[in-house]
Amino acid sequence: MSDEMSDTEEAMHMDCGQFRAVLDDLDRPGTPGMAFREAALAHAERCSRCAQLMTSGEALDFALRQIVAHDAVLRASSRVETALLCALRQQKAHASRRRGQWRMAMLATAAALLLAAGLSLRHFSLGNRSGTAANKPLGGTAINSGAGSGNVEVAQNLAGDSQETSAFVSLPYATDPATLEDGTVVRVELTRSTLAAMGMPVTDAGSFDRIPADIMLSEDGVPQAIRLVSSVVGEQ
Amino acid sequence: MTEATELNDDGLLRRIMAGDEEAFSLLYKRRHPSLYRFALHMSGNTSVAEDVTQEVFLALIRNPKCFDPARGTLAGFLFGVARNHLRKRWEQDRRMVSLAGDPDELTPPSGSGASSKAALVYPTGNGRTNGNGHNPAPTTYEEFTSIENVARVRQAIGTLPENYREVVVLCELEEMSYEEAAAALDCPVGTVRSRLHRARAILVEKLRDSRTPRRATAVGE
Repeated sequence: MSDEMSDTEEAMHMDCGQFRAVLDDLDRPGTPGMAFREAALAHAERCSRCAQLMTSGEALDFALRQIVAHDAVLRASSRVETALLCALRQQKAHASRRRGQWRMAMLATAAALLLAAGLSLRHFSLGNRSGTAANKPLGGTAINSGAGSGNVEVAQNLAGDSQETSAFVSLPYATDPATLEDGTVVRVELTRSTLAAMGMPVTDAGSFDRIPADIMLSEDGVPQAIRLVSSVVGEQ
Repeated sequence: MTEATELNDDGLLRRIMAGDEEAFSLLYKRRHPSLYRFALHMSGNTSVAEDVTQEVFLALIRNPKCFDPARGTLAGFLFGVARNHLRKRWEQDRRMVSLAGDPDELTPPSGSGASSKAALVYPTGNGRTNGNGHNPAPTTYEEFTSIENVARVRQAIGTLPENYREVVVLCELEEMSYEEAAAALDCPVGTVRSRLHRARAILVEKLRDSRTPRRATAVGE
């Protein structure tokens, strides 16, 4: 109890330094100055110099409040708001345009990706075919061979078609007669002109239609002999 | 009215970002008077104050994301932008001299490059002056709180150094708390408090100085 009393007395006995420190905050809410208001007033009653400071401060506060009251009605002219609303509309239109462009860019990117994926797929598929074409240089049907010309095993990928083949005819530059015994046979489709160039008896050599043929390859992959293949549809 | 009126500044800003004109109008009506007055007190020129107000809101329209709610209030942010624009303006106008008698001219900001001789024509209510056009110096409390003294205080604010004038305008004329002013000025609360203390002391000093020579003149008469 006595401690509280002494604290209060101490607060009430403010010196000039303390008074000046809180003088500007005496009427300012949320500052420590308000808590010391009573003590500051008590000090000002005892100290004429501080009382004069307080009077000056209050006069300044009054003048400032007057300025606040007078200036409260001050506003920027309406042209500012009009200009800003115009700017907002432009910004909105610009943003909308940018969003449209962004959407277009996204669509274009998606289309490009799809196209790339499609092309890749096609390339991959062609790659597989050309991988097979290592065994059939001119896009023909692959044929695996056994050994010997009489034991050639032809892959039956033309379902329902039976095939007739002629005998192998050595190509003009064939150098390895042993190939006819155990070479690899590859099914190809050649144009008539190509077949004619290889010495095969074909008619209408100027035509572009393709004729299936088997080519016998030597171990180093050089064609050694060729035979024509004809299919008979419907015969099983 | 619509629900937009109940939104706080952040809510309005979100709607402005979505292109809501009504939200913008509301925010403008809510915030522009204090910004305009701040710019007016700092520049002493109504057209500069309007330009600065416009620039502040244009900045908000063009790049609303530059405001980070984590760093303070939107009001504080807007005052900060206004302050930057005023400084740019002063840099540009440093070599320009204001015309005496320009009705648009108020008390020039010290250090802003404007002429300190420009007359104060800020409206003071009834515009009462003494016979020779001078405001009489206050000698009593009643006189000290007179309209003329209000005009003198207004003029004295205009001659304060820029950093002192800022805190007087924000804390006294715009009635911001120390914390709000500190956020707007991007400085510690203690700095705001000490600047305000010093600014008030300068204002009281100026008012006392303006009284002394006039009393001497009166004695001489």
